[in-house]
Amino acid sequence: MLIDLNHIFKIYQAGHVEVPALINITLQINKGEFVAIIGQSGSGKTTLLDIIGCLSRPTNGEYWLDGDLVNTLPDSRLTGIRNKKIGFIFQTFHLLPRKTALENVQLPLMYAGASRTVQHDIAQTLLTKVGLQDRLRHYSNQLSGGQQQRVAIARALANSPALLLADEPTGNLDSQSGKDILALFEQLHRHGQTIVMITHDPLIAQQAERRVTLADGRVVADEYMHQSLPVPG
Amino acid sequence: MLRSIFLDALKNLSGNALRSGLTMLGVIIGVAAVITMIAIVEGGQVWLVNSLERMGTNLLFVWKKRLTVEERQLFAGRNTELRYDDALAIQTRFPDLVVAPILELDGQLKAGDRDYSGRITGTSPEYSQIRNFRPESGQFVSSIDIKEWNRSVVLGHTIAEVLFGSQSAIGEGVKIGDQRFTVKGIMEPKGEIYGHDYDEMVIIPISTGLRFFQGSDKIRSMIIHVPDRQRMDEISQALHQFLVQRHEGVDDIHIRNQGEFLSAVDQTLLTFRLVLGGIAVIALLVGGIGIMNIMLVTVTERTREIGLRKAIGARRQDILLQFLIESTTISVIGGAIGIFVGILAAYGIGDIVARAMPGGGDWGAVVQPTAIAIAFAFAVVVGVGFGLFPAMKASKLEPAEALRYQ
Repeated sequence: MLIDLNHIFKIYQAGHVEVPALINITLQINKGEFVAIIGQSGSGKTTLLDIIGCLSRPTNGEYWLDGDLVNTLPDSRLTGIRNKKIGFIFQTFHLLPRKTALENVQLPLMYAGASRTVQHDIAQTLLTKVGLQDRLRHYSNQLSGGQQQRVAIARALANSPALLLADEPTGNLDSQSGKDILALFEQLHRHGQTIVMITHDPLIAQQAERRVTLADGRVVADEYMHQSLPVPG
Repeated sequence: MLRSIFLDALKNLSGNALRSGLTMLGVIIGVAAVITMIAIVEGGQVWLVNSLERMGTNLLFVWKKRLTVEERQLFAGRNTELRYDDALAIQTRFPDLVVAPILELDGQLKAGDRDYSGRITGTSPEYSQIRNFRPESGQFVSSIDIKEWNRSVVLGHTIAEVLFGSQSAIGEGVKIGDQRFTVKGIMEPKGEIYGHDYDEMVIIPISTGLRFFQGSDKIRSMIIHVPDRQRMDEISQALHQFLVQRHEGVDDIHIRNQGEFLSAVDQTLLTFRLVLGGIAVIALLVGGIGIMNIMLVTVTERTREIGLRKAIGARRQDILLQFLIESTTISVIGGAIGIFVGILAAYGIGDIVARAMPGGGDWGAVVQPTAIAIAFAFAVVVGVGFGLFPAMKASKLEPAEALRYQ
């Protein structure tokens, strides 16, 4: 089991008012699964992604990731876990400006302490894998949205993470680029990559083999599709 | 990794060239101000010491105190003047001192159809020695001149030119009042020191002055050279006692130690140094606050970048280091430019002061390596110190919060 969430609560403090964002979430995800977390805005899916991605800590509950009880680890260990075990893909790509595609992909490798040649070789291989072999030295503002998201995927894969976490990965893309990105996910999934994807779009969620539905901070449905559907459209 | 972080910082700075430049300007002005101000005060110090050395060293100045009406009535009939005899007595009583009595008269000099009205100084050969002021040609007043009331005159450089133009004046006749004098020597040019223009001096033997012009043995003052600097205070007191005794118990004597004078000037310089130094430090602090301000803006602007970097594995110290390198780079480059500007400004201002100040011809700023080192070190400390706060702020952000910062 890769992800084991037990009775997770996340409560935000807004002045003197406590706002519960996640209420008693218990969820297990196995290695190699492709899970879509679906829900309307305000349902708590982004908060859940933050906790799964070790970007914030639960107020209560236990979170085991790949055998580590991460909610008790110090910040420095969490940084290492994010760097090595998790690859992030965001709706707004979050590429660094004034950096080339290659440099963006090298960043997690740099923080992992890889040598410059290793950084370069891995980044080049990954960018080739996502189809950007002729865009290596383009700056992020010289790339289309779909290309930027491919760079972000290559960056997410840099340290061969156990888990790929995607937050509305197609939200800022036109439908064709969105389809290409989902096809890339499908391909990664077939090679055994665990993927957790957040979306509000049920059509996109159909790509996954398992669908977890959140509403008002609770899991209201957890369904397995027997077979993922072909890319819609 | 350090190299990558460093290159990253440089890229960020050059990407915002105008902002980085303006921030740097604060540091440049601060460092330049420190260097310039220290150099100018230091220049003043050197100039002061030099001019004191030109005036002679280890000197005591003896004056007669002005008595009040009551005191004059009280001491009527007693010997309360500073007299030539006092000088001779001091010389006999304290043989290792060098005593130069001074008489001052107003008079008119005539040579052919040219004339000059001004002050005439009567003194002894010792004056030339202890004031470190020597004839350029001919000779100074000698002890034979004193003994024989010779009507010889030694002219200051400017006076010689006024009366004789470019031709040699030695041996020529000069009328002072209705007495005929012979020019015995021309003094070296020395310029003005503390408002006294040595080049406008007219020097005659003191005995001649007393006999032909003064009509009494009252003198104006004495300058006394003490060979041993350590004994200045002790000798000053002994002289005071000796003179009061000679004046039948009347304390009508002022003795000023050159050292006191020096320390009074030193005190003034110290005040200058503190005030100017304070202003310079404030300038540097303001520069530092500029750095902090810009770094805070940068941190806020780049909150999402910080969040992303933390999400993909940047540790707290990596973020801290990145922002520290940026602020340190600004202060180091700014400091280096500031050193350059400061040195230029110091010499420029030194030049202006030398022209503007009477007798400041040899005035010049003194740029000291220690001042440069201090200013630069301070700039870097300010840069790092003020960069630290925003950097800490950046490094402490929770990644989820930072990533979604609007």
